[in-house]
Amino acid sequence: MSALGQYALLLALAAGTAGLALSVYGIARSLGGARREPGKDVPATAGELSREPVWARYHVRYYGYALLFLAFDMEMAYMYPWAVVYRQEGLVALLDMGVFLAILFLGLLYGWSQGALKRQ
Amino acid sequence: MISGARQGSPAGLRRLFAAAMARDLRAFVVPGAEVARARGLDVEAAGLGMTGVPRHASVLLVVGELPAALRRAAAVVYAQMMRPRAVLAAGAGDLSPLPGADVSVGLSQEELEEGVARLRTAFARGAFAPGAAGFEPEMLRARTEYACPMHPEVVQDEPGACPKCGMELVSREAADGGSGPHHGGDHGGANGDHGHGGHGHGGMGFMSMVEMTKDLPRSSDGLPMEWVEAPFGPLFPGLPGGLFLKLTLDGDTVAEASPSACGWASPGPLTGPADALAERLAGIDPLSPASYRVLALRAVEDAAGAGADERTARARAGALERERAASHLGWLSGFAYLIGHRWLARRAAELQLAVLRAEPAGMPGLRAAARSLARRIERTPLLARRLEGIGALPGGTGASGPVARAAGVRTDARCGEGAYRALGFEPVVREGGDALARLRVRLAEIEESLGLAAAAGSLDIPAPRTATGASGAGAATVETPRGTATLRVALSDGEVVSAELEGPSARHLALVGRVAEQRELADALVGVASLDLSPWETAR
Amino acid sequence: MSALAVLAALLAGAYLVAVLEGWSATGRLRPAGPAVSAAALLGRESVVPRRPDRVLFEAAPLLLLVSAVLAAAVLPLSPRLVVADLATGALFVNAALAYVMVALLMAGWGPDAAYAMVAGWRFLGQLLGYSMPIVMAIAAIAMRAESLRNTEVVASQAALPNALYQPVGFAVFFLAAMCLAFLPPFDLPTAPGELAGGVEAEYAGARLAVMRLGRMVLVVALSAAVTVFYLGGWLGPALPPWAWSAIKTLAVAAAMLLAGRYVPRLREAQVLAWWWKLGIPLALLNIFWVGVVLLVAE
Repeated sequence: MSALGQYALLLALAAGTAGLALSVYGIARSLGGARREPGKDVPATAGELSREPVWARYHVRYYGYALLFLAFDMEMAYMYPWAVVYRQEGLVALLDMGVFLAILFLGLLYGWSQGALKRQ
Repeated sequence: MISGARQGSPAGLRRLFAAAMARDLRAFVVPGAEVARARGLDVEAAGLGMTGVPRHASVLLVVGELPAALRRAAAVVYAQMMRPRAVLAAGAGDLSPLPGADVSVGLSQEELEEGVARLRTAFARGAFAPGAAGFEPEMLRARTEYACPMHPEVVQDEPGACPKCGMELVSREAADGGSGPHHGGDHGGANGDHGHGGHGHGGMGFMSMVEMTKDLPRSSDGLPMEWVEAPFGPLFPGLPGGLFLKLTLDGDTVAEASPSACGWASPGPLTGPADALAERLAGIDPLSPASYRVLALRAVEDAAGAGADERTARARAGALERERAASHLGWLSGFAYLIGHRWLARRAAELQLAVLRAEPAGMPGLRAAARSLARRIERTPLLARRLEGIGALPGGTGASGPVARAAGVRTDARCGEGAYRALGFEPVVREGGDALARLRVRLAEIEESLGLAAAAGSLDIPAPRTATGASGAGAATVETPRGTATLRVALSDGEVVSAELEGPSARHLALVGRVAEQRELADALVGVASLDLSPWETAR
Repeated sequence: MSALAVLAALLAGAYLVAVLEGWSATGRLRPAGPAVSAAALLGRESVVPRRPDRVLFEAAPLLLLVSAVLAAAVLPLSPRLVVADLATGALFVNAALAYVMVALLMAGWGPDAAYAMVAGWRFLGQLLGYSMPIVMAIAAIAMRAESLRNTEVVASQAALPNALYQPVGFAVFFLAAMCLAFLPPFDLPTAPGELAGGVEAEYAGARLAVMRLGRMVLVVALSAAVTVFYLGGWLGPALPPWAWSAIKTLAVAAAMLLAGRYVPRLREAQVLAWWWKLGIPLALLNIFWVGVVLLVAE
């Protein structure tokens, strides 16, 4: 079938799976709702009630990796079509992408030497 | 009917689900899996799966008597379990504020298995019941209070206006101490999104991010971020049960750690007739009862002026060493569970139960098993990398036991005892002072202890009644699995007049801050676990 | 219809993988285990934490399940047994699996709970590690097959499976798949000992059942991806094609589940350092190797 037909089928599959999950919720709900009791809806923290919110800026330590990831991610978008036509393009393709990858790899090595590749 | 049944009549589809739930019971063990193992109970073999997440558990398994603080924590966990839920008490006495036990058994494996069978039928019949009662103890109720977003210290019980700046007070739940994500200093918003006052409240005007964060404490990489306070105890699956640990998290780094222990009520067990002192002290710490029993016997004998003969001393040494091996294996199992090494957790638990049940003749076989386990652990890939440098403490911090011996300090109370010298004892000392060194010290001690227990030949604790009508003062020291414990008693006519007990964990508790702070959360927890704290040994 | 047959096979595969996981965790083989556990979960209450982000909290298990099912839908069991044999099948697998990260972050942020929050952000750290090696390995596959269509990827392995043609890429993809499915030793988001359940801690009852089902389907989808990309899919003598696919997929799933029992959990900093300092250079080397071999073996 055509590509559009295939995507429509996948969309229907996604909707169907979500519907299946919701019907499982429905079956469980038919046994009765949850009983509201004090303390039950507080997040479980090992025996002490902690009602404080934790929605705040979270201090991740991997932002060095994240920046390099962005660079490589942009490159991978180009890799997919290149990979498909690689064999018919031959040596030229290898050299073109080789230069691109080498530049990125040098960037990775530079980041490594400057301490980007560690827990900040 | 079980006390935590779901509302509804047990008919049709519900009976099917109840039967399924009866076959798939998961237990949350209070105070902790290590206490259950130390008492000789094999929970998984009894048919209960174990979990450390309250919401995934259907059974609250209470092992042994609990102090009031732990009972309250258990009640909180019980309230957070999903219905249908039940309480299985093994050797526990009064359980308030928890509801009464649905099934009550003694502290033995056969009784536990029989109790689980009874629990299964109770679940199959009573998981859904028309008249289930709610669990609403007073301690769980939430109060609403009203606070000013700009001045968090202004708190009232009714809505109104802030006396300092005139802003309307915002409602929030009464927190048990902290005030939401705070910066450890000035700005403390009730919710994180109130924290930065650049919205024009009360004429603040525009503030740049640099100005707003000027006074905040900075993290180790120079950025000022919100800190969140989260409890990691007392019933946390990876840490010893009874350790009340509150960590202030800066992302996934621990900014501050404040531990406290449940402990035993002083001077409770230390008063009373001297002959029963050993029994009372043995009840303090479920993780090492034999050590405290021997400590009490020796102290009383020293005060009464009677010495113990060589055979008694040898037998006591055998019992102490068996308990040391079992305690280290129990620690190893919990530690392996914390670092996610599942095979090791199960193998160490198996060996611990085998050691606890062994006869003197079985000791050499267990020693060989311990040796092969230690070799296998050394060959585990990535384990050394995982543990190297974690929880590093230099020597001379006042620690004792394996924590000190792992830092190269050659201190061991057993060096000065005749029975041990006769058995050819040498303390195990390693360099490094980090979690890896402590692991190696304990592995070597397991093997050595099993060898000493085999050489001693007897594993019980003879308790001759030397203290009837005796008077005097005396002291004794014992090397418990966690460190050196000292007891000083003064007797008068067979009664204990005054006594002082010092266990090793009090000093180790003070080291938790140094081990955990400024470390990533997983490393901090590994460091705390590597100290092998027993929260039961400290006096409240 | 072949689509329904594939979905039924997916469900059966998820069930068998659940049995395998139970066996690797407890050492006992219980064939009725997952069914009993699922029924037990459905019979329990399911509660929403106080003041959650309701949309995120509810969407997380659904999104996990849907993304895993979509990824499995483009992987063929045999030349005719596939739900949708997209021309960009290999790319679509990666695209669908990217939503696993979104689902876990939702599950981490939604309930406003401390342990879940740490666990969710840790998984993002893991993703920064495994993402690039997975894509680079897929690119090397596509180079040999000259197409992104999964049936052609399998057909290109008629002479030699990719596991032998590009062994480095195989190892990289296998480990990255374990990272994506957060299987031990990469189970940072649901660390049982360290974070008391992590992202799964606040889910109970039916929602937990859907989340666990999603996790099983994810493992099956990734095992099927390893089979299709590296082990030659349905190719093999004697047995019918779908039988070979099933055997290979289950073998890969068993290997993934057993590998983690004997090794401690890797820390987030270790995962990232190993992937970026060793994994990505190896994956780039793999691309270069495949490129040279393809040109030379003309």
